[in-house]
Amino acid sequence: MHTESDDDLVKRIASGDRLAMKVLFSRHQVRVYRFVLRLVRDETLAEDVISDVFMDLWRQADRFEARASVATWLLAIARNKAWSLLRKRREAGLDDDYAESIPDDADDPEIVLQKQDKGLAIRSCLERLTPEHREVIDLVYYHETSVEEVARIVGIPENTVKTRLFHARKKLGEILKAAGVDRGWP
Amino acid sequence: MTDAIATDPRRAELEELLPFYANGRISSADKARIEQALAADPELGLRLEIIREDMAETALLNESLGAPSPRALDRLMAGIEAEPRQAPLMVRAKGGMVAWLGQWLAAQPPRRLAYAGAAALAIMVVQGAVLTGLAVRGGGGAFDTASAPTQASERYVLLSFAPEAKASEIAAFFRRYEASVVDGPRANGFFKVRVGDAKLSTAQVDAIAARMKAEAGIVSFVAPAP
Repeated sequence: MHTESDDDLVKRIASGDRLAMKVLFSRHQVRVYRFVLRLVRDETLAEDVISDVFMDLWRQADRFEARASVATWLLAIARNKAWSLLRKRREAGLDDDYAESIPDDADDPEIVLQKQDKGLAIRSCLERLTPEHREVIDLVYYHETSVEEVARIVGIPENTVKTRLFHARKKLGEILKAAGVDRGWP
Repeated sequence: MTDAIATDPRRAELEELLPFYANGRISSADKARIEQALAADPELGLRLEIIREDMAETALLNESLGAPSPRALDRLMAGIEAEPRQAPLMVRAKGGMVAWLGQWLAAQPPRRLAYAGAAALAIMVVQGAVLTGLAVRGGGGAFDTASAPTQASERYVLLSFAPEAKASEIAAFFRRYEASVVDGPRANGFFKVRVGDAKLSTAQVDAIAARMKAEAGIVSFVAPAP
């Protein structure tokens, strides 16, 4: 079966094709939603962000440059919108309340460890990383992006991508160690 | 405890590439370098094991987040419905042609503007020389213009085809109107089409354009053209 490429769909979208928009949305919505949800941690907000992301694509499809993949483009727009929300929440003083609520969402790593489930302990510690570290871990480990793509999505130099990811991995190891899981590094 | 890898720049550089080796998004040259290093450096191998473990758990964590509800697509499509229909760039500019030109010029890099300015100046110089030549040849007697003849011998429309129009429909369309393409497609997708000779009055050309316009499945735009 012939599957139309993302680039071809974007060309159709640029000419006002709504069906192409629906196809592209169904192709990318889950990954973009998960990326945003990991940052904003609110399902309704994440859904609003992804509709806004695809709305931007509808308006700017004729300006899409094929130098980047459509997936990278979508993640970059999504990231900007998610961070804009996070900043507003921080300015409104909602982030402190929010930070306090995080342990309720995730099991305490030590309790998890008592249940002898190392995987669950790692997942619980992943939730405790800062948004900056979370996004770079998610982009590389889950969205399988390259150094260049992370640089484009996050808007940082390629060397910074590598060092930021190194520090995120190190931090994850430290949180796990504090919870009783020593993997030999750090 | 000191980190032996972090204190060795060569090993540290390779270590920072391990996540991209693990996700398969690395150049073949870097991949070969890492595989060579892994064969001789067990400590680097342990780091890779940690990365693979974290990668598996990150994937599980993300997969557990589910998918957006149909509300997201509904909201998007409602937004699209509320948007004005997409129009060509020149039409989209608020304030018409002059505003569009202003926006376009503002978006150009200075070097391109400089080249464009020089090219425009060259054209003006050539035009001036041609016009002067024509005036001199006329010997100062009867006044001739350098423009095209005022009375066109043929009648034209400017049109663009609907994206869904089939080639067979377009061919039949031309036969129906005894029309033919004289120019195009231009950059904006328009064609200049001959619809008859000078015997056709302006009202007749208008009527042909209106009939063509009614065939919305084949053409998306029609207007009489000089």
